[in-house]
Amino acid sequence: MLNKSLLAICVACALGLSSANVQAEPRITVISQWSAGAEGDAMNAFGHLVTKAGAKWEHNPVSGFTTEMMNKLRADIIAGKPPAASQLKGPEIQAWSQIAPTVNMDALVAAAGYEKVVSPDLARLHKVQGHWVSLPLQVYRVNTLYASKKAMDKIGATALPKTWDEFNAMAKKMAAAGITPVAHGGIAWADTMYFDLSLIGVSPDAYRRAIMNLDDKALRGPEVLAAFKQLRQMTGWMSPANAGQHWSVFIPPLMKGEYGFLMMGGWASGVLKRGKFEEGKDYLCGSTPTSVAKPVFDLNADGLIFWETKNADLQAGQKITAQVAMGKEFSRTFTQINGSIPARTDIELTDSTYQDCQRDAAATLAGAVAANQVVLSLAHNMAQSNSITAALRDVLTEFVHNNSITPEEGQKRLADAANAAR
Amino acid sequence: MAETPALSRMGLYGFVYPVLIGFAAFFLLPMVVVVLNSLRSFEEITQSSVLGFPRSFQWRNWSEAWSGYCMAGNCTGIRPYMWNSLVMAIPATIVSTLIGAVNGYVLSLWRFRGAATLFAIITFGVFLPAQMKLVPWAITLRELDLSNTVRGLILIHIIGGISFTTLFCRNYYVNVPQDLIRAARVDGAGFFQIFRRIIVPLSPPILIVTVIWQFTNIWNEFLFGITFSEGANRPVTAALMALNANIAQAREYGIESAAVLLAAMPTLLIYIFGGKYFLRGLTAGAVK
Repeated sequence: MLNKSLLAICVACALGLSSANVQAEPRITVISQWSAGAEGDAMNAFGHLVTKAGAKWEHNPVSGFTTEMMNKLRADIIAGKPPAASQLKGPEIQAWSQIAPTVNMDALVAAAGYEKVVSPDLARLHKVQGHWVSLPLQVYRVNTLYASKKAMDKIGATALPKTWDEFNAMAKKMAAAGITPVAHGGIAWADTMYFDLSLIGVSPDAYRRAIMNLDDKALRGPEVLAAFKQLRQMTGWMSPANAGQHWSVFIPPLMKGEYGFLMMGGWASGVLKRGKFEEGKDYLCGSTPTSVAKPVFDLNADGLIFWETKNADLQAGQKITAQVAMGKEFSRTFTQINGSIPARTDIELTDSTYQDCQRDAAATLAGAVAANQVVLSLAHNMAQSNSITAALRDVLTEFVHNNSITPEEGQKRLADAANAAR
Repeated sequence: MAETPALSRMGLYGFVYPVLIGFAAFFLLPMVVVVLNSLRSFEEITQSSVLGFPRSFQWRNWSEAWSGYCMAGNCTGIRPYMWNSLVMAIPATIVSTLIGAVNGYVLSLWRFRGAATLFAIITFGVFLPAQMKLVPWAITLRELDLSNTVRGLILIHIIGGISFTTLFCRNYYVNVPQDLIRAARVDGAGFFQIFRRIIVPLSPPILIVTVIWQFTNIWNEFLFGITFSEGANRPVTAALMALNANIAQAREYGIESAAVLLAAMPTLLIYIFGGKYFLRGLTAGAVK
């Protein structure tokens, strides 16, 4: 025991000496929620790229819920030792950039020509007062529809439904054939997500006005009502026994054909892949139904924000990390591992490690950017600040789990909640 | 009306025990699911469901959870984090219990003006939600230069625990007759001598309760553990959370189950052994 601690002291001395010698070596400290599984692997790969580019990678994951990571970030900022970079997304970038100084990345972004290759909505989210202080790492298509091949075979369907009417007709057939049409768990964010998808399927423009801009007229308008009606239709096809459960629990019965459809962000593809289920053979994958002609993309994206530091080694590390994160190699490596798609729209997903579903999502993103139909997901804290999202989520989750609330009543409550929270 | 012994024994075996065993089995069901899942492979769970009997017993989850599973590129399992938690929980439990015992002793047997108010203020800490204390602690740890250290966490748990330990000990000692103290003082015993010779020998039951309470709470604590620690210094609760993946992941129920069982072992042992002393202490330490 004594020997061990002596050894530890010696090692500590040696490390202390060596770090004093090479103080200027670029270094980056990062906190994120991604510690394990495919997400952890993706971060490790990010680290390897940063190391290769010449900066020491010190990743300190704070797993669990976002709240925990934010507590940690706040504690570190109060302690005067903020991480050089931390994972942050959506409107939270604006909010959190107020509590501590961030790093202006404008010159690096301009040098990389990065702004031209990301969607304008994404760019706006990652800027504070017009300056880049954070960078998107990955993008997920929230509006992804997975259909059980076995359930589809049973009702004689071969292609995914394109519109809500087609979807409803197929779900009706499934219900008649003894299949539960919608494999939904019942956690608040997932309930909210089904509303996201209902409304963008009716009108992405109304979604933008009602949810992203909280426009009262739009919130009380016919499109939102139609979305509530579609959502009520779908709740009838969910199993009430599933309340409170995680969506991934229902993957096995979905693949067996006991359920028909799952609507979930693109990360479900990664889960299906790990469970050794095959696209085309076990399931079909594409965009959720929509009545507008051009592609719609409900966006969820994670970013990396850079915090100001006085240490020269960290400043150098931030530059290197930012350059890596904007690069094509990072985009490919990171997204191949975790099933997301690159934030850059100029990357061909031809590698065999990509799934067809990812390629489809990338094509949808490019199409939606061109058609100006990229919207930000409410369910995934992209559209509104946390407090407003929470207020709307409370209404939506109650609506999903309480069949006695009519679509009209649900719409009124949502608009009222938005009024109170605004 | 006393029943005959035979009848009451029949009632015990025929009715009370079956009912109790039934309840015990019911409450243990989730535990059974966890134990069974710890023996099933990832593929088996993903392809069937979380409820099921293992097709073949897999011990791999246990070794993975203990020393193989990777978190942030460190493939150490939960073993080093278990050690961190022990290094944190043991001193914090001992020190907070000792302080609580002395506090209780003073507040109950050496009453002074304002003792009741002081007791109320200390007890107030019991009702403070942990979230409220996050920012004050962040500032305190910064001032003491203890940010992100195990010593910082020990300090938090000692201070935070004093409310509970003082409450427990004070309420226990309040039943010790003042005459005992007076007699000892007449015999020339001082403050600490009375504490050591008279109070401590009377205390095993409450000290065991306090130790169980403190150790379990500190061991299970998560919020401070994840906020005020970093990397390799993490307590085991934070490491367990790293296993419990986010929305984007299918969960590794097998490894999670094994890890949870491993992490629960120390508190379980404390209950098993502490429980024994607890009973012995109750019968032996009664005020005569």
